[in-house]
Amino acid sequence: MKQPYLFYKLLLFLFAGMLFTTSLSAQSIEILVKDSKSGEPMMGASINLTQGKSSRVASTNFKGRFLFEKVKSGPYKFWVNYMGYKHSEVFEGTINGSQAKTITVDLQDASIEMNETNIVGHASKETDHSARALEKNAGMIQNILSANTIQLLPDVTVANALQRVSGVTIQRSNSGEGRYAIIRGMDQRYNTTLVNGIKIPSPDNQYRFVPMDIFPSEMLERLEVIKALTPSMEGDAIGGAMNLVMKSAPDKFILSANISGGLSTLFSSSRPFVHFNASPNKNSPAAVNGNSYTATYSDFNNQGLTSQKNLSNPFSSTAGLTIGDRFLKGKLGVIVSASYQNIYRGSDSRQLTPNAQPAADPLPNTPLFSDAYNRTYSIQTQRLGIHNKIDYIIDKNNKLSLYNLYIHQSEFESRLNTDTTGFGTNSTSIRKALTITDRNTLTQQNIYNSTLHGDHKLSDKLRFNWDGVYSVANRHMPDRTEFSYDAKQVLDANHELIAEVDNNTKLTHHWENNTDKDIAGYGNLIFNHTIAGREVEFAVGGVYRHKKRKADYITYGLAGGNSTLYQGDFSTVPFTFNSPADAIGSNNPDLQNNYSVIENDNAEYLQFRFNLIPKLQVLGGVRVENTHMTYGTESPMTVTQRAGTVSYTDVLPSLHLKYVLTDDQNLRASYFASISRPGFGELVPYKTEGQYYNQVGNPNLKHITADNADLRYEFFPGGADQLLIGTFYKKIYNPIEYFVVKDGGPSAQVIMPQNDSGAATNYGFEALLTKFFGEIGLSLNYTYTHSRITTSKLLYYRDPDPTIGLQQSFVDQTRPLQGQANNVGNASILYKSGKLGLDIQLAFVYTGERLSQVSPYYNLDFYQHAYNQLDFSFEKTLIKKLSFYGKINNITNAASKIYLKYPNGKLDAVQQEFLSKQDISGQTLVQSDYYKTLFLGGFRYKF
Amino acid sequence: MLLIVTASFTACQKWKQEHTDIYSYTPPAADHPVSDKEPLSCNNGSTVVPVKGTMLSGKTYTVSDGCDLVINSGDTLLLQPGVKLNMGTGSSLIVLGTLVSNGSKDQPNFITIPGITKNDQPGGLLIANDPAYAGKWKGIIGGPTCNLMILRWTHIEYAGLTEGKATAAIAGSGLNNQYSILFANYNGNFIMEDSWLYGGVDDPIRISAGKIAIFRNTFEKNGVHGGDCINVKGGAVGTMAYNLFVGTATNGQKASNKGQATGAPQTNIVMYNNTFVSGGYRQSQSGRGGTINFEEGAMGMYYNNVAINCKYGYRVVGSPAADIAHLSYGNNYQWADSVSVANEFYPTGYSTKPQTTDIPSITTSAKYLPPNYIPGSIYDGSDAVQKNSPMFLNFPLPTTGHPLAQYTAVGNYNFRIQANSPLIGKGNTSIKPLIVVPVNSIYGIAEVTMPGTDLGCYQLSGVGNQH
Repeated sequence: MKQPYLFYKLLLFLFAGMLFTTSLSAQSIEILVKDSKSGEPMMGASINLTQGKSSRVASTNFKGRFLFEKVKSGPYKFWVNYMGYKHSEVFEGTINGSQAKTITVDLQDASIEMNETNIVGHASKETDHSARALEKNAGMIQNILSANTIQLLPDVTVANALQRVSGVTIQRSNSGEGRYAIIRGMDQRYNTTLVNGIKIPSPDNQYRFVPMDIFPSEMLERLEVIKALTPSMEGDAIGGAMNLVMKSAPDKFILSANISGGLSTLFSSSRPFVHFNASPNKNSPAAVNGNSYTATYSDFNNQGLTSQKNLSNPFSSTAGLTIGDRFLKGKLGVIVSASYQNIYRGSDSRQLTPNAQPAADPLPNTPLFSDAYNRTYSIQTQRLGIHNKIDYIIDKNNKLSLYNLYIHQSEFESRLNTDTTGFGTNSTSIRKALTITDRNTLTQQNIYNSTLHGDHKLSDKLRFNWDGVYSVANRHMPDRTEFSYDAKQVLDANHELIAEVDNNTKLTHHWENNTDKDIAGYGNLIFNHTIAGREVEFAVGGVYRHKKRKADYITYGLAGGNSTLYQGDFSTVPFTFNSPADAIGSNNPDLQNNYSVIENDNAEYLQFRFNLIPKLQVLGGVRVENTHMTYGTESPMTVTQRAGTVSYTDVLPSLHLKYVLTDDQNLRASYFASISRPGFGELVPYKTEGQYYNQVGNPNLKHITADNADLRYEFFPGGADQLLIGTFYKKIYNPIEYFVVKDGGPSAQVIMPQNDSGAATNYGFEALLTKFFGEIGLSLNYTYTHSRITTSKLLYYRDPDPTIGLQQSFVDQTRPLQGQANNVGNASILYKSGKLGLDIQLAFVYTGERLSQVSPYYNLDFYQHAYNQLDFSFEKTLIKKLSFYGKINNITNAASKIYLKYPNGKLDAVQQEFLSKQDISGQTLVQSDYYKTLFLGGFRYKF
Repeated sequence: MLLIVTASFTACQKWKQEHTDIYSYTPPAADHPVSDKEPLSCNNGSTVVPVKGTMLSGKTYTVSDGCDLVINSGDTLLLQPGVKLNMGTGSSLIVLGTLVSNGSKDQPNFITIPGITKNDQPGGLLIANDPAYAGKWKGIIGGPTCNLMILRWTHIEYAGLTEGKATAAIAGSGLNNQYSILFANYNGNFIMEDSWLYGGVDDPIRISAGKIAIFRNTFEKNGVHGGDCINVKGGAVGTMAYNLFVGTATNGQKASNKGQATGAPQTNIVMYNNTFVSGGYRQSQSGRGGTINFEEGAMGMYYNNVAINCKYGYRVVGSPAADIAHLSYGNNYQWADSVSVANEFYPTGYSTKPQTTDIPSITTSAKYLPPNYIPGSIYDGSDAVQKNSPMFLNFPLPTTGHPLAQYTAVGNYNFRIQANSPLIGKGNTSIKPLIVVPVNSIYGIAEVTMPGTDLGCYQLSGVGNQH
């Protein structure tokens, strides 16, 4: 841990001063601390040196060394300790006569470290150094961020921290906060989230992937991004698996606490933060009174909107507390960690919506837009994370641990939206049809996970470990309240407003809930045997998971009608249902979206590991994944696809080779097959609101399979330094892409996920370099990704034969996968001065241009422009255990901008009137989101 | 090593397996002829009542509340003259095969909700209280396999209820649809002649695609707060002529090529001799139109039409543009009680080009229209107010006593013309109807009325609209 390191350094100065007065001897002892297994030098190990009544404490430097100078002549004693490792023996000796001794200490890992099949971490390994050791010694390809790195990062959520990992880009939410990780150009559907190696269910309303912004980053011991799967790992990751290894019980008492506060520069009196109190109606009238109940206006509470008030400078705050200790002679370890965040963020967003169909004149697929959105978001996010781990060492062969994680996130999103509708039809140069919407949404997400884990050494050759897992993930959107009205503006020839009529008021109350419950059991049996003089490790094991998912939706739409004009106070509008039938729950079209899913998955594997020649480790085997999923909706019996069963079996071989070039260099090659299961919301035939289009599920969707190959060179020169160079190739079968389909009419188009018949390819190159020059460190990573998929797109054109006229046909277009950027890089400069007790980091992220929205039409895809973000963070020790830290996000107010690759000057004149300010002549800016800078500053206390 | 990988990969692909079993519903076959002995009712959790065969002259058939009357693909339901088909609340008529309602002038058919009294006095009922706009049943929903739908001398009333998922799933339509009639097969034929469409919620007739012939019909109280009375989209080809529209929410006739399917033709609609009265006043959006509208890639023509006090005149949209190079128009008449109506004869903000054959003449005065007039610009229509009274048999102009928005039904009015009407003899008879549907006294269009010498849907000779 960095904090004790700084603390001890300070102590050292104190002691050094005292010693100075008592002794003037010239002897020295240099102590080098190494990991007994890897031989890796260990930075930050603390050394207690005692000579008679005086003692000195120091910690090792980046090279695992510390030089005690001016040691008194005579006998000495010292021992070394390091979190997560056993205390060293006590070294005793005598020094005299200008001697300079060098002593090497090998520390042993305190955990019952087994191998890859034992995925769950046991001891605190929070330093960069141990992260490097894990990367180096792992059987497969992965990248690790240590707790120390995370603590110093400018990021408070795991999602934002993920963007610092080589090959990872993030997808942002409306507040600019990272939400999902794209690993090596493979979007979130291709990646899984593990907590301590255990897969957790997602609170997402549609997909299996977990929103990564829900996890406070300070709860982590380390963050692993595993890019190649071994047979013992769950086989449903194609891009990679993100394993959140949570803090585990320490060797001795620890206490750390932090508190901080901050501001976003987005908000001011002229652009206030819109705060609201959630509606008291947690459940819909139908949920309270039954589906046959006829609701009236009085059943609804508009507090979500009426409580709205403006805050000009809302103050964000975070707090964290970790307490851990070990009892019963070290047999029982307990850690409890809690984190609370209350962050105010937001964004200003402008967006053009493509018309459902482009124009065929003057050229095929000439772009047209239908709407311009101008949205301001105010988002208050409250996160509470509590985790607790108890481990009990029964005897030297048996160990049990119980892990509990509870994560809660409440997001209060206030969105004010002005929609200019119908360019050229409803809105012209002298007339504007605006729809103004005020929508307040509370989204509550929870994840609970409880894992009981056991490790048993059955004999010298046979070990067994197991996990019993219960998890719940849910998401509630209680009473999303939306008020909208149409503003019809008449403009004069100079575009000045001369008249406005506001009516067509609408009020919508919406509820949605989804819950996943998982019960899972994992078991692994590991057998070591010597064959032909080689130690061979066999492992067999499996997972069984029973998953239940339920989702329900209901929307009540009330209208104030056209005859009542809106005068600025919606409480005076007499809202009613269009027809009494609409007020009855069972008539609600949303109700037929309600569904439940039961999924039973089981997987079995066989894995072997041996050294073919001393320098070549072979890890391989095969995994069988069986999936059996049944869904049912509340649709009546006349609705095709109302229920269904999907089952499939996949056999996934893998092989990982590690060739040890030298002690600090590896060469790796691996192949693995893996799958990706479609999300429930994609499979079940229901309809959800989307950004441009509504989205419907497709029960005929097949799961995705992939072949993945990797090659990597690794160099760990010591300390936190490393150099990794790798390349990868993926072939993805049945990739799921979104296509626009008609939904009962030309204006009603929806997007539907479908498997593309052609396979997609994705290959690339990764490089990562971390190097410390004394107190200054440099960390660079860069990933080049190239993915291609060919899909059928629409071409709307004019046939030269005038009797045929306008036509639509299909043409193939080859393009990158959605979300994939060719070039992704991170650069950070670190300054770590033990002397000053100061750590500083300046972090820069570059995400190259990437495909953000696939159009159904040829050449009309939207691309997000290259995005640069600069963040800064520092931590300064004030006194002993107390430090001051600060984080600044998005210093340059980088905007997310999305473009259509069509010269904006060539759009037709009527369309051009509705464009916002353009900055690239060869393209059309269709969306821009500004987040401004966020400041956080606070104190950290560590005992 | 590569060999092992290849070998194991091949083996694994063999072990791989997949099984899906997704629930599928097919409406049951209609196994007996349709009968009027008892209500056509659905039960056992299903809303479907399959029907085929013949509904007999003079008989009344009843569909129970909430049931979907389904004509399966390949089946035909024929309504002889004088049939009354009473639809239950929340019911629908889904046509996956063929529907022929063969009413006659003497024995018209009714597809309606029984027991409702109409009030067609201007302003007689508030919109919220008028059953015309209530959407009592879901309408006639033509599915993608509907190859022929004929409504002849037939009253369609009180439809437009939201389809909902179950009905939309059977019909292959859209769950939010609120149409009285939907047709959605570009290879199929939709024929409506001498019929009446009363009431509606959204677009009373939506032609998503199809070959169409819509002749000599009367449309009243169509659309609550929006909806174009006959709204045709990408892949619709045919003719609309001699129709009378009173009080449509938005346009009477609209053509667009939006949503043209691959394989479908470009929308091409010929419109002539239609009459529009007080159109466009219930549309909540501005500028949408109240008469005829061509937009987004639609081609065709419109001639010999009459518009009385419509909120907006004939509208040609410039973006997303109609197929202006293949759109022609002229000989169109307009009447304005007030200057606000006349100011939108050539709707401001759009691309309609004034024609020399238009009435009032575009050279009426220096203001109407200015010599440097550019389509879409603001002009002063005061010199075009109350010019050339059409001399209807019974519809005094300028109107008195009611706002224009309250003229929503024919009621006691009569829009036939008197012998001194300025509409007489102004028609363009050189244009041709576009007939792509079969011509047949039962299974096609029985009568194609050619463009008339008099403007509007009533010819002094008695030809044209027969209502």
